[in-house]
Amino acid sequence: MARMKFLCDAERCIECNGCVTACKQENEVPWGVNRRRVVTMNEGVPGQRAISVACMHCSDAPCMAVCPVDCFYHTDEGLVLHDKDMCIGCGYCFYACPFGAPQFPQEGAFGVRGKMDKCTFCAGGPEPDFSEAEFKQYGRNRLAEGKLPACAEMCSTKALLGGDGDMIADIYRDRVLRRGKGAEVWGWATAYKVPPGKGTPPPAAAGGSKS
Amino acid sequence: MNIRSVSSVAILAAAGAMALVLSGCGERPQAVSYHQGSYSGKPDTPPYSDPPWNGNKQQWEDDMRQRVQNQNEYKRIGG
Amino acid sequence: MQLTRKSDPIRGVAPRIARAGARRIATMDRRSFLKRSGLAAGVGAFASQLPYGTMEKAQAADAPAGVKREVHRTVCTHCSVGCAIDAIVENGVWVRQEPVFDSPLNLGAHCAKGAAIREHGHGDHRLKTPMKLVDGKYQKISWDQAIKEVGDKLLAIRKESGPDAVFWVGSSKHSNEQSYLLRKFVSFFGTNNMDHQARICHSTTVSGVANTWGYGAMTNSYNDMGNTKCALYIGSNAAEAHPVSMLHMLHAKENGAKMIVADPRFTRTAAKADLYVRFRSGTDVAFLFGVLYHIFKNNWQDDKYIHDRVYGMDKVRDDVMAKWTPDKCEEVTGVPEAQVYKVAEMMAKNRPSTLVWCMGQTQHSIGNAFVRASCIVQLALGNIGVSGGGANIFRGHDNVQGATDIGPNPDSLPGYYGVAAGAWKHFAAVWNVDYEWIKKQFASQAMMEKPGMTVSRWIDGVLEKNDLIDQDSNLRAIVYWGHAPNSQSRGKEMVEAMKKLDLICVVDPYPSATAAMAAMVRKDGVYLLPACTQLETSGSVTASNRSLQWRERVIRPLFESQTDQAIMYAFSKKFGYDKEFVKNYEIWKPDGDAKFDEPTPESVLKEINRATWTIGYTGQSPERLKLHMKNMSTFNVKTLRAEGGPCNGDYFGMPWPCYGTPEIKHPGSPNLYQESRTMMDGGGCFRANFGIERDGVSLLAEDGSYPKGSEITTGYPEFDHVLMKKIGFWDELTDAEKKAAEGKNWKTDLSGGIQRVCMKHGVHFWGNAKARAVVWNFPDGIPQHREPIYSPRPDLVAKYPTHDDKMDFWRLPTLFKSVQDANVKDKIAEKFPIILTSGRLVEYEGGGEETRSNPWLAELRPDCFVQINPKDANDRGVKNGEYVWVKTATGAQLKVRATVTEAVGSGTAFVPFHFSGWWMGKDMLEFYPDGAHPIVRGEAVNTATTYGYDSVTMMQETKTTLCQVEKFTA
Repeated sequence: MARMKFLCDAERCIECNGCVTACKQENEVPWGVNRRRVVTMNEGVPGQRAISVACMHCSDAPCMAVCPVDCFYHTDEGLVLHDKDMCIGCGYCFYACPFGAPQFPQEGAFGVRGKMDKCTFCAGGPEPDFSEAEFKQYGRNRLAEGKLPACAEMCSTKALLGGDGDMIADIYRDRVLRRGKGAEVWGWATAYKVPPGKGTPPPAAAGGSKS
Repeated sequence: MNIRSVSSVAILAAAGAMALVLSGCGERPQAVSYHQGSYSGKPDTPPYSDPPWNGNKQQWEDDMRQRVQNQNEYKRIGG
Repeated sequence: MQLTRKSDPIRGVAPRIARAGARRIATMDRRSFLKRSGLAAGVGAFASQLPYGTMEKAQAADAPAGVKREVHRTVCTHCSVGCAIDAIVENGVWVRQEPVFDSPLNLGAHCAKGAAIREHGHGDHRLKTPMKLVDGKYQKISWDQAIKEVGDKLLAIRKESGPDAVFWVGSSKHSNEQSYLLRKFVSFFGTNNMDHQARICHSTTVSGVANTWGYGAMTNSYNDMGNTKCALYIGSNAAEAHPVSMLHMLHAKENGAKMIVADPRFTRTAAKADLYVRFRSGTDVAFLFGVLYHIFKNNWQDDKYIHDRVYGMDKVRDDVMAKWTPDKCEEVTGVPEAQVYKVAEMMAKNRPSTLVWCMGQTQHSIGNAFVRASCIVQLALGNIGVSGGGANIFRGHDNVQGATDIGPNPDSLPGYYGVAAGAWKHFAAVWNVDYEWIKKQFASQAMMEKPGMTVSRWIDGVLEKNDLIDQDSNLRAIVYWGHAPNSQSRGKEMVEAMKKLDLICVVDPYPSATAAMAAMVRKDGVYLLPACTQLETSGSVTASNRSLQWRERVIRPLFESQTDQAIMYAFSKKFGYDKEFVKNYEIWKPDGDAKFDEPTPESVLKEINRATWTIGYTGQSPERLKLHMKNMSTFNVKTLRAEGGPCNGDYFGMPWPCYGTPEIKHPGSPNLYQESRTMMDGGGCFRANFGIERDGVSLLAEDGSYPKGSEITTGYPEFDHVLMKKIGFWDELTDAEKKAAEGKNWKTDLSGGIQRVCMKHGVHFWGNAKARAVVWNFPDGIPQHREPIYSPRPDLVAKYPTHDDKMDFWRLPTLFKSVQDANVKDKIAEKFPIILTSGRLVEYEGGGEETRSNPWLAELRPDCFVQINPKDANDRGVKNGEYVWVKTATGAQLKVRATVTEAVGSGTAFVPFHFSGWWMGKDMLEFYPDGAHPIVRGEAVNTATTYGYDSVTMMQETKTTLCQVEKFTA
């Protein structure tokens, strides 16, 4: 099996924030902590796009590399999880992560930064599965129930895909073929040396004319 | 060799020896790199350890591949 | 898959790896310190310092053996898409929600609101007990005291001033059963003074569209948009108002469909468009007829379709070709010819094409003309009654469709029967109540048959001079039953009305802005009664595509809240007509003595089935609906039809009309007026509602145009007993049916025999007629452009003035021209040069107190804001994120944050309407009952909106008024 991954299809994302509240609801994430956020580009003009970002569960995770107490670990499915009991809340992972995944709940007096909290791909954490400790610290463990992350399963337009990287690549590929073009948000023009918006127009019946 | 060159060679050799000595004395590399296996937190169980898989990784992966198709409306709608 | 945990899986705890090194021990001490200072990860002290209440968090706690876990299938209570939700409840506590992938409507998808709906199970900010305003503060009272005091006061007002002195604002968030019951309840109180959100939402749609071809509802469905080749969204921000509908649209787009968005703002929906057209708010007729001009000019219209099925298109054509040439269109709308042409070309060359609209079209003083212009364009292109085409009207609240169909409308009994004597007699028979008795409840027969006032104007019912209103007394009391006040315009005058009333009663799960606004201006005479949400009761709900779904009850009513039907029943006892009220129903007590008794939703739906022959709410019995909810996966997503399985042949939710009794098993009608399907297959034709001929032209369909399988292959009028006898169908009725049908027509025949026999012959009993492009009974037979009441263009006001004033319109004098002329004279457009429009956000719904009380949603949108163009901002020295005053001609001003963006063009500004709780810069927190205020409060845009009403339905003109924006100064 390939690694578990997220992929947000920018052609479909309508910035509804369903993924954001699905995560908050499912994991009872407190006010001020946003494991997942929607980012909008080119707001207000043609070319406006959005994607939803949480932890990318990197293979060579910078957070893991810099943590002074080595509280991160990789699961077999490629997820990056961490032990909150070890976490000292130093925020170094927050510096290192290019995606802003580490979040810090404001906890208690003195304004101290609490334990780092981030997207767990709804895989819970290093506590017994389905225990109260696991839920309180890490949120839901949907993977151990045979389900996928709440954000991806509840996305309003199925823009956010989450699961076996292999399979979601397939799902995305199918869409790209039908559209006849990529997301045209970033990298496309660089990679294909084509100005954005001037790619091949979608063929009239590319792989799927409607009934 | 005349005395001067012997001195310079000796100085060079001494400098080289000093460098070797210094590098062996516990100076740490400046870049941080992660070494797999140095996680020292609590252990975690894989997601397929619970019922109904009870450790059957293959079955769990199969089920997850099935489950992800819920995110693909083409399975139900077609073209 | 749901795992039912039977016991707590105890994991063997592996030995903890010893921590090495002194450094680690020092770190651990610090960690322990953090732990000991009272902070478990993720929750804890900070959370309890926040003002969000201290309800015990519902979580999947380790369940000891024997915990009772149930799964209840319900439907999201926010918008009209109708996303299904599986709610997991443990020991009565709602602990989780799961997406329902099986649902053919949403396939498991949710927007921010649906994904967060479980918060209703906490309800930290809800109204928990009945309350009474005493000396300016809300105090807790008991239910008995509440019913007694409110009831006594209402009875006293009825005795002194007549039943028409009370206005009942009902709800589009009530289930079908509740909204039907409210219509009945208020009728028995003796007045037609009732209304609900549809007035200020799609009333213009319902009226305009129904007068065009028969019914005023969405003709196709969100799902059917997956079949379209081109969609024009005009005045619809579906990405924020109906997010999950975009699943179907984007799927279509991926497969080659084109998408056009016409909107004054570049919205999130526009971001997905192939073509975006910016046009001036309030100029829809000019724009649509500018498009139609090109359609006619290039001969793209469907001549055969027009010949067979449309009346009056030639007159429309003459009008359009003369008046809406490209130059005139551009002058009014601001859209260059090339763009208008492109829209026409895309819609014409990619058929079937669909036209989608929402509030952008409806909320105007000529909204009825806008929607009809949309209908005419679709008729010209031959797109109505075609899969992938249609007039796809996106309704707002979750059950605004149901409430419109069978709920508390001032001008009609359930099912659009109207309020004439015949309609009352029909319902007297259905309700098993004496017609004369009902009549006695009213002030007079004349009042019984006179449409009531509208929710958009209740304030004038209070404040207007008594001799100018068309009823005896001014309004003395208002009951806001599931409706917010900040969605109606002229908020500044609303508080004046609130001051004057004898009684204000709010029945709502949330105190709503009404409670705060009232406490701000008065000291007593206000009661708040906690109703529960739709998740705490069961019942049916009608989505925008006319499909009905059944909601199971998730949890029992929280705190001291009661269901709306229980509250109605309790008041009916107080008013002395409980026996009549629940005549045909079963009564039950689902929570024993803890709550009031109430009629069962199933028995109420069965009465609805027996009553509403007009729109075919007859076949959707509770049993059939529940079967659909259990077998959702058997329905095809594109056609909505069950292919095999227990519901084989049905369309999901049996979208009305679902004719005949449930035994006949009509499958429902997924696309209205579709002649390519037989009657029993959900097909139809245009209704013969408007007569047989006009000016010598036949209004019936031409020969050869008929629904598939019909035995009559020409146009024909509606069926009544006379026509049945003439044609020879009469003798196919059973004797019992003959008795019931004698002297009746297809709508009033309670046996359903006329409908049954016609269906056997494939014949549509509502007639087979032409749609009307010219609606002669409307103020403008052919839609005309008229400038908004508050127009930024005095020069165009001269060319395209608004209607004349109406002195008796829905019981009130209603001004048009005099306000518009005064605005021109007072140079309002110079003092307030920016067009102010308002609309929806994805995070909130409606008046917003409910969604702004949900922390998961509130966090996403903490401030009310105004979108302002960079040029306008720079001209005023306004920077992004700063507070500004938005001022209107009413003298009101709103303190909001400026969002400087190019999403609005120069000269237009946008403020969302979901906020309330601030009044012209002042936080109204002190006026809310303790513990029952929303987390996020902000200015209500309607505090500052202006006078302006639709010329047919009294819809408020909230999409187009004028404002000025200034830097904020205290």
